[in-house]
Amino acid sequence: MKRREFLKSTTLMSAAMLFPNYLLSAEARERNAQRFPPSLPHTVDGDVKVFHLQIDIIQHEVVPGFKFHTLAFNRQIPGPEIRVHQGDKVRVIFKNNTELNHTIHWHGLHVPWRMDGVPYVTQLPVMPGQEFVYEFVAEPYGTHFYHCHWGTLLHMQSGMYGSFIVENDQDPIREKFPYEREYTLIYSAHDSNFIRNELNAMLERMKERIILMKSGRFDKKRFAVFNSKEEFERAVEGGYLPPYVISRRSRADLPQPNWFTVNGKSYPMTPNIYIKSGELIRVRLINAGQLEHYLHLHGHDFWLVADDGLPIPQPWQMNTMRLSPGKTADIIIEGKNRGIWTFHDHDTSRVTNNGLYPGGNLLALVYEDLPPEETELNMMARKMGLTNLPNVALDE
Amino acid sequence: MNFHINTFAIMSLFVFLFVGTTNAQVDPEIQLGARGVVSFNTDILNQQTTTAVNDFSDTGLLLGFRQKLYNKFRGQLVIGFQFPDAESDLGQLFFHQTFIKIENQTNILKLGRSRVRSALIEFPTLRDDDALEFTDVLNPFSSGENTEDHQYGNVLEYAHIFKQRWWIRLHGEHFTQTPVPPARSETDFSLNAIGASFQYRVPETQRWNQPFLQQIGIGLNNFILDQPGAAFVDRLLKNITASLVLNLKPDPIHFVDFRAQGILNYGLSRIQRITDFATMTRARSIAVFSSVRYLWRQYERPTLQIAVSAGYKYFPNLTQPSNQYQVVGNVLYRLGDNFDAIVQIQYKQFSGDLLSVYDRNETRIQFGFVYSIDQSWNNQFDDRDSLLNLEHGYIP
Repeated sequence: MKRREFLKSTTLMSAAMLFPNYLLSAEARERNAQRFPPSLPHTVDGDVKVFHLQIDIIQHEVVPGFKFHTLAFNRQIPGPEIRVHQGDKVRVIFKNNTELNHTIHWHGLHVPWRMDGVPYVTQLPVMPGQEFVYEFVAEPYGTHFYHCHWGTLLHMQSGMYGSFIVENDQDPIREKFPYEREYTLIYSAHDSNFIRNELNAMLERMKERIILMKSGRFDKKRFAVFNSKEEFERAVEGGYLPPYVISRRSRADLPQPNWFTVNGKSYPMTPNIYIKSGELIRVRLINAGQLEHYLHLHGHDFWLVADDGLPIPQPWQMNTMRLSPGKTADIIIEGKNRGIWTFHDHDTSRVTNNGLYPGGNLLALVYEDLPPEETELNMMARKMGLTNLPNVALDE
Repeated sequence: MNFHINTFAIMSLFVFLFVGTTNAQVDPEIQLGARGVVSFNTDILNQQTTTAVNDFSDTGLLLGFRQKLYNKFRGQLVIGFQFPDAESDLGQLFFHQTFIKIENQTNILKLGRSRVRSALIEFPTLRDDDALEFTDVLNPFSSGENTEDHQYGNVLEYAHIFKQRWWIRLHGEHFTQTPVPPARSETDFSLNAIGASFQYRVPETQRWNQPFLQQIGIGLNNFILDQPGAAFVDRLLKNITASLVLNLKPDPIHFVDFRAQGILNYGLSRIQRITDFATMTRARSIAVFSSVRYLWRQYERPTLQIAVSAGYKYFPNLTQPSNQYQVVGNVLYRLGDNFDAIVQIQYKQFSGDLLSVYDRNETRIQFGFVYSIDQSWNNQFDDRDSLLNLEHGYIP
């Protein structure tokens, strides 16, 4: 064991011994804070806030012991959070460092149509090595997100998503529910085998295409783009086989997600939400994946205060909510039942890691003011060697 | 026989008891490879014509099972069989592959029945034994009845890979001895050949990265002949093989490559006449074989392939000048995914002592179809030579 690792491990052990419940330690809370998307810093050019996003292929560790190759904005999953004020002029300089094509779609934002990031509709794809500048005014207020709109089925579940928060000083939700702390939770589902096969196939194909692009031999049929539906129909009548008839890439199977993440991690590495008795917290929920999630909070009802970023005039209470693909929802939780409470997807097939329960979309609402005596262990637990309530339990 | 049955029973029980200590397993990755080759042949031997309406030799099936092992290794079992050539004495079915492979990123250990390392590269011929006398080091233990004797054997092979492209292989084989009854020889696992090879080769997935040189290699094969009383070194029949693959036109649409391989068989100095197949394989010889291939890939898929190959072999130590040459031309046209129509014409000519083994000349005209698939299920991990593993870090 290296000295640094030894020091790190002894620090952790000390923390565990000092605090009857490690989950409540400053160490645990500090580490937990790293599990939320960091804000993307910006520079100012006149009255424009300038952000830089780049895309790379990285190895992403979903849980210790399992990694897969993914795409990642600024080398992190999810991408960094962009946080601006309503009405801000925003410029995002997007650099494509991969050998694949990409765009960025600003989901829920009212951007000019040529900034909407839909390939061959609003812009040409941002090709390997290219840079594209998105400019728009941040409207409307609320919780939104951004994601790649090229090869969306693959690129979104490969990690190309991040939160985009538009704030307002006269925040109607904060006025109604005066909260201090807020959390962003981005849900997704990933078929690691689909991602691997498709990414490899796309990379291989793009190596060929780059040679053709460099030699100026663009061919509409080769790239499967047509000027009009009629031109496409004529091509098929003339013997052209579209890619959905003769797959040019890899196997034509739809993905079967086997990993379910919150902020890019699966249980037990998912973030926890901290609260104090009497406190109101705001949780911004974003579904950047392809599956519906049915999010259930134990021991509490929460208020649904915004839907797709839009404040709900008369919030209502629930303890299980449906979060459809592409939806954002803001909820307010009131700390009025001290304890450690599970917050999870009630489609329990998504509370798994590679088919094994527990895992996936499972996290906890943790009261910081939980008295240590309430977390005491029984004799059997102590005999097992536990020093505090286990933060990780994998064989349920 | 009883001994074998009892041993098998004890082994089965042992394996059962060991397996029985666990009650769960990860599904293995299942691979299926199949190749069907059916051709209509017309042979003209010394101006006498014979025809075969339905030649399906080399049609075969491969089944593979792969799994992640502990400590970053992978294990694989492959079982395969094929229909042997019509003139062979191997029966209806020949198990050409039955091996276990253990590998990590840079090391491969292979044990069992498999392709022997008698060739460094492959050539674009309809069947892989179409030019066997030029493309493979011939098995000196064979009677010449079965082409499979030269291609398959019981192998023990270790390979190490440096920097993804440099391969060093050490291998030992038991080449089949015929006319010893195959059943006896095929279950003989003593080594009667040892060898090594060193190759630089560009992974198939990176052929567009390194456009010109694709492969260069050298190999040494030593057959350990049964010569009682002779020193070990004197019992060795040494063959040196060198190979080269160049992409003459590395273009994704109109692709042209060149392949060449030479085999120097040092032979036994005492052999100055060829009287049968055994003396032919043990006489000093030099063989070269090369091919030029044009591949038209219309929409990122092979559409048409035209290949011309030629080989020349001579035996410098014989009292009577003896040589042979062969020309092969073929055209493949893709009818659908994995399904090709083919026309092949080949001409062979022999002189000198070789007439005691072969006819003076032979012309073969073939029309046929080839259907080949390579499918896998329960994918769990990536191949060593995938672009993700090669260019974005290897994931075990």
